[in-house]
This record gives sequence, structure tokens and C-alpha cells, in this order.
Amino acid sequence: MKKGKLMAAMLLISALLLSSCGYAAAESRDRYRIWFVAKSTDTQFWLSAIAGANAAKAEYNVELTIVGPETEEDYAAQNDYIAQAVDEGVDAIVFSAISYSENAAAVDAAADAGVKVIVIDSDVDSAKVSARIGTDNVQAGRMTGAAVLSAEAGALYVGIVNFDLGSRNGQEREQGLRQALQEDARVRDVYTVNVAATPDSARTGAEILLHSHPEINALVGLNEPLAVGTARAVAALGLSGRVRVVGFDTNPECIDYMREGTVSALIAQNPYAMGYLGVETAWELLEGGSRNPDELLDTATTIVTGENMFTAESQKALFSFG
Amino acid sequence: MKKKGQSMSATLLTALIATVVLVLLSAMLLFYRMYRQSLLRNTQTAGLRTIELASNTVNDYLSDVDEVMALVSEELRADEAAREDFFNVFLRIRPDVVAVSTYDGDGGLVNCYSYGRTALSQPEVNLSFDAARTAEYAQGFVSPPHVVTLFAREYPWAVTMIAPLRLEGAERWVALDISCSNISEYINDIGIGQRGYCFLMDADGNIVYHPQQQLLYSALKTENTALISSLSDGSHAEGNILYTVQSLSNSRWRVVGVSYMQETVSDSLRELTRILLLAAVVILVAALLLGVLLSRALTRPLRALASAMEQFERHADDFTYQGVGGAREVRMLSDSFGHMTGQIQQLVDTVRSEEVNLRKTELRALEAQINPHFLYNTLDSISWMCERGKNAEAVQMVNALARLFRISISRGREFIPIRSELQHAESYLQIQSYRYKNQFTYSFDVDEDCLDCLCNKITLQPFIENALYHGLNGLVDDGTILIRVKSRGDDVEFTVSDNGSGMSQEQISAILSKERSDSAGIGIKNVNDRLQIYFGSEYGIRIDSVPDEGTRVHIRMPKLREGEEAEYEKR
Repeated sequence: MKKGKLMAAMLLISALLLSSCGYAAAESRDRYRIWFVAKSTDTQFWLSAIAGANAAKAEYNVELTIVGPETEEDYAAQNDYIAQAVDEGVDAIVFSAISYSENAAAVDAAADAGVKVIVIDSDVDSAKVSARIGTDNVQAGRMTGAAVLSAEAGALYVGIVNFDLGSRNGQEREQGLRQALQEDARVRDVYTVNVAATPDSARTGAEILLHSHPEINALVGLNEPLAVGTARAVAALGLSGRVRVVGFDTNPECIDYMREGTVSALIAQNPYAMGYLGVETAWELLEGGSRNPDELLDTATTIVTGENMFTAESQKALFSFG
Repeated sequence: MKKKGQSMSATLLTALIATVVLVLLSAMLLFYRMYRQSLLRNTQTAGLRTIELASNTVNDYLSDVDEVMALVSEELRADEAAREDFFNVFLRIRPDVVAVSTYDGDGGLVNCYSYGRTALSQPEVNLSFDAARTAEYAQGFVSPPHVVTLFAREYPWAVTMIAPLRLEGAERWVALDISCSNISEYINDIGIGQRGYCFLMDADGNIVYHPQQQLLYSALKTENTALISSLSDGSHAEGNILYTVQSLSNSRWRVVGVSYMQETVSDSLRELTRILLLAAVVILVAALLLGVLLSRALTRPLRALASAMEQFERHADDFTYQGVGGAREVRMLSDSFGHMTGQIQQLVDTVRSEEVNLRKTELRALEAQINPHFLYNTLDSISWMCERGKNAEAVQMVNALARLFRISISRGREFIPIRSELQHAESYLQIQSYRYKNQFTYSFDVDEDCLDCLCNKITLQPFIENALYHGLNGLVDDGTILIRVKSRGDDVEFTVSDNGSGMSQEQISAILSKERSDSAGIGIKNVNDRLQIYFGSEYGIRIDSVPDEGTRVHIRMPKLREGEEAEYEKR
């Protein structure tokens, strides 16, 4: 009897050990499949984000598919991509919403299908997002405001070239910007024009603003193509130096405009970090980690001005490597 | 026979398992340590070798760039048309050279050649050349990485090599902007382990090239450059990270290898631990199995021996010993035990038979003793009869006496026919009735088929004697003694009843337990003992007595036919 018990205990222990070994061995499984649904695949901003995503892909050995619509207004194409990803049974989607409201249903559906959704850069109106990573846009708006207010002019008339009303980012940036501007008595008027997120459309919008309000002496482009278009309009109208241009992101054309003085400041976001952290976070969540989706993981934003654009730190923020 | 304390098999098993565990543990520990040390050494060696390789490639590249510098300096002395032709071809085949520029002593850009790019005529900011630092440039200079600001729209990252250029007395400098992404080709693919990598650093602690440069720039990753730049060449373990550093022979750059102990050492160790544990379990189970088998082989015969002893303890008489097998020592023990039990049984038999013989001798002596005492009385009676002239009665008396003695002696046999025993009883009664002057009557009631059966001689006489002395002696009325012999199945029952004064329960037990002391002769206890010695405890006498009414003695013995007595006589 006693011996039988002893034997049983030994067998049990060995079985446990063997199974734990077996369990550990079975852990190495197929790679995670992650889709990266961007807002665009050709702006400098998104190229950096994609480079970051690819760096994380290599580091965490995941299968990464990168897609994005033709234009930065085509939320329907994004919804299609999300549906397609869910159909293919991906593990996670790293997503940047063109429309805060119109992309919500697709994200909900994906989350309901068990896919982890990580939002980067632009938020979506869904309670089922697992993590949020990107720029604190209100804060970025305030930084833009500070860049505008560093002008020496006694009275400021500010024109804002903003993108689609449906984009949460644009609205938050404008909100932060307007807050900052309100705090300064020199600001007499603020005008906004909403345009499509292309340089041409922004240039037209900026030209219209400058025509209808010739007193404007500060113009803001609230994302990369809008900054390019705004700078082009100011340069083309020969207003460089008279109209202070503050832009977003680090398009080389904008950098050139900054070198020659048309653009006085650029708000440099950290798209590479967004892409990288998006994929990294997806991997961590799939490995069983957890994040508070209501808490934005803020990727650092820096103001670069014409004066400091070639310091060692600014170089790192402005120019992507390789 | 459960005894306290460890059983032998448990002790054996515990000792075996303890030894195995101890040996296993120390062997595993030793092996683990040795394996870990060799892993660490391997990691270090691998790191050093990889860094050696990396520095060789980077060195080769740098000497190649030196050659380019020499070639370019040479070509820059040629006339303008030849220069254009040369750089057109050269820069096309050397995409790693972003730009070749010449500067005058004030830092003014004189010429700039770059394939597929047009330089700005006089860039306000030029990160490739700083006129204020020409003193440093004189010895040959390599800058930290920076963006090239010579072009519009394009800002490639590069390191700049600057050397003085002697041209017809005028102060000239030549600067080569070397693409960082090109250096990456030499570094990116050099991995150490799965996640380890190399990077290039200059002597001031600036990272020249890092495979994850953009991660560093985006503040997603940091290298502890302060620490690393303080390290000398060689391997340095810092926490979980192994840094391997080597300075390049002909530049101020250092190659730094970063490898993770976690991945190279810990993972292997975990794998090893798993295998070792598995082996340990297998060995333990095998040892346990072996131990169980071994202890069983050893203890089973011992246990059999123990249970045999236990049995012998309880039933020594009918014990027959079956030897047990097993080890030689156990067999010896078993044989000795077998031998011993045989001897003990023999001894017990001897003692018992001696005891029986003794008792028999005693009995015979007692039987013999009855005669003289009784004889004197009877002879007194006869002599008295003769004196009185009662010759006929004297003759009868003498006859009865003669019969009594004849049967008493019966040629020394223990068993006599019941018929003879009855004659003996009757003779005794006749003699006594003369002595008691017919104060009592007696009668016999006998089953005829019992007459030829055998019984112990002088069985009835003591009870008759007891009836006469203790039952009828004080009686005024005529006493009667009835002697019955009845067949009871395989047994015979004798009954001697009287109507005398009877006995109390105390008297009965006194009679049954005490040797007779008042006179010589066979006591009631002797009869009982004799019956039980010969036939077993289920036989013997039973006395029923009611005071003032009489006593009835039952004597039971098996029916013994002629020729069957020999078996009992041996006892």
C-alpha cells in the first residue's frame, strides 16, 4: 500500500515534468499575422511609420501586411481592408482612422471577431480598441500655437488650413491651436478652411484664405500635405517673410521652404515611433500583455524652427535615416 | 507481529533514492556549471570573432575610402573637362560616395560633384565643412554622422572625410561625403546570436552607424554610449548584455558588438535544464524500480521466514517448515530455522512423552498402593469371620478379594474389558457389604453390547468407595448404589449413583481438584486425569449432587474395542 502510493507519486511527478517540458516545447508556434492599415502609403509621414513598423516586424518576427488607401479621405477603402484582414483571420490590426466616426463600425466588427485593434496616429470612435498610440494632438495644436505666437508682429491674423472635418486629429489640433491663440491678445482673428489632404487642395485653400483675408500674417497647415500646400501658396504669392507659415511633419519640400525662410516652424511628429510601437504593442498584446486603451501612448513631438533645424537633435527629428 | 520502526525495504529504498538524488544533484550541478562556463566562453569567443570580422570589413572599407580620397585628390588636379568626365563615371560606380566637394580656406564651396544631384550654389548651412575647424582637418578628419545639406529636397545621412588638397599654392580642402546607408551593408548583416548586433562608434562616443539608427533617433531605443566609450577593447559583461569592443587600427572608430546573454546562454541553459530534469526523472524512476525489485528480492524471503516463525510461535506442534529461497545468507538462515524447528518439535515430543510416562508410573504406583491398605481391612474382616465360625462367608470374602486383586493386576494392562471392570466393582461391593453388614444394597444396569468394550481398569471403584464413605456412611436408612453402563453413540457412559447425603458444590470441586490425602488409593482426580490423558479433554467425569438426596457420577470414555487399546496405551 505504502509502496503503491510512493510509486504513484513518482509517476505523477515524472508525468508533470514531462508535460511541462512538452508544453514549453509546444510554445513555439506560427508567427503572428498583423495588418497595418495606414491612411496613406506615399507621404513622408507614412513612409516613416511604415519603416518603423517594418523594424518592429523584424525585431518581433511577425508577419506584417501593409495597406493604405489611395487618398487620405477614403475611409471606405480602409473599412474594406479591415474586413478583408478579419476574413483572413489575422491576429491584430494596427490602424490609423481616416474618419473618427465612419471607421468605427468596421473596428467594432474586427474586435468582435477577436482581432486586437491598435490605433496609431488617428483615433476612431470605438470602445473596443485595445491600445492607442500617437501624438497628443491637442498638445501638438498648442505647440503649433506657440510657434505662431513666437512671431514679433503686434497683431496676428491667423489662417488655419485644416483637413477633413471627420478626422479627429485635425479637430483636436485645431482645438489646441485655438486654445493657445486665445490666450494671446495680439491674435485678432482666426480663420479656418477645410480642404482635402493633398498639397494642391491645400494650396488652393490657402490662396482663397489669403485672398479673402489679406490681413492674414500667419498660416498654419495642420498635416504634412497641408503644410506643403500652404508653403507653396505663400511662396507662390511672394508672401515669404510677411506671412509666417507653421507646418506639420517633415516633408523635404517643407524643409527646403524652412531653409529659405518661407516656413518658420515645423511640428515634427514621430511617425517612425508610431509604426514601430504599433506593431510592438500588437505583439505584446498577443503575447498576453494588456494596455489601457483610454490612455494614449504619446510619441514625442518636437518643434523645429528655421534657427535650430540643423542642430544634432533637430536632424534626428527632421531627417529619416537611410 | 507488527513491530515499530522502519521496515527493511523502506530503509533500503530511502537509502537508495537518497544516494541517487545526491549523486544526480551533484553531477547535474557540476555539469550545469561547466556547461554554463563553456557557454559563456563560447559567447565571448563568438563575440570577439564577430567583432574581429566586423572590424576587418570596416577597416577594409576605410582603407578603400582612403584610396578613393587619394584618387580623388589626384584627379582634382586635372583640368575641368577631364574632372567632369572622371567624376561622372566614378560617382556612378561608387554610389556610397554621396558628394565630392572642394572648399577654399574660408569654407567657400568651390566645386561639388554628386551623381544625379545638383548642389546648391552656396548653401547657407553646410554641415559637411566648417571653416572654423580646418586645424583639425589637416591631419585627415572623419566627422560624426550628419545630414548632407548640399542639395535641395534631399538630405542623406553621411559621414564626411576631409583632407587638405595642395593646388598651386592655394589652400584647398577636399571633402568626401560617405553615405551612412552604405556603411550599413558592412554592419547590418553582422549579427551575434539571434538578436545581437554590431555598431560603429567614434572615440568621442558618437554613434557613427547603428543598425537601428532610426530607433535611436526616434528615442525608442538607447545605447549606453557613456558606458561603452569608457570600456577598453575586449569583452565586458554588463548585466545581461555582453559588450565586445574593438578599436579600428587606422581610424578613431570602434566596433561595438552587443550580444544578449539571455538568448545565447540562458536559453541554452534552460534547454539543458529541461534535458537534465528529464534525465533525472528517468534515472530516479529507474532507481526506484530497481530499489523496489531489489528490496523485494531481499525482504520477501525474510518476510516469509518471519511469518513462518510467527506460525511456529502459535502452533509449534503441527508446524511443518517449507524452506524459503533468496540470497545465500537468507537460505542459510532458513535452513537453520528449519533445523531448529525440527529439534524443538522433537524436544517438545520428548518432554511430553516423558511427562506422560511419569504420570503413568505414578498412577501405577498408586494402583499398587490401594491394595495393601484395603487388604488389611479385608483380611481383618476375614479373620474375624473365621473366628466367629462364619466359614462360608469367609470363603466368599476370600474369593471376592482374590477376584479383586486379579482384575486389579490384569497382568499389568491398563485397559480391561468392561465385563471385568464390573466384576471388579462387584467384588469390591461384596467385600464392603460384608464390612458394612449389609447396610446398603447395590445393583447393576448394563447394556450387554458394552460388556466386551474396554475401559481403564479401576475406574468405578474410587466412586463406589466415595459413595460408601461420604454418601452412605452416616445414613440410617438403607443406602442403594446403582451402577449403570450405557452405550452413548461412540462413547460409553458409566454412572455411579447413590442416595446418600450428597455433596455441596464446594465439596465436588474439592474432590475434582485435590489429590486424595485421607487414605491411599486412587482419587477421583486421578481417574479424571487418567481419562483425559488417554482420551482428551472432552472425556472424563461429571458429578451431579444434591445434598440429602444423593450423588450421581458420570464417567465418559470412548468405546474401545479389543485391539484398539494399543493406540491409547502409547500415550
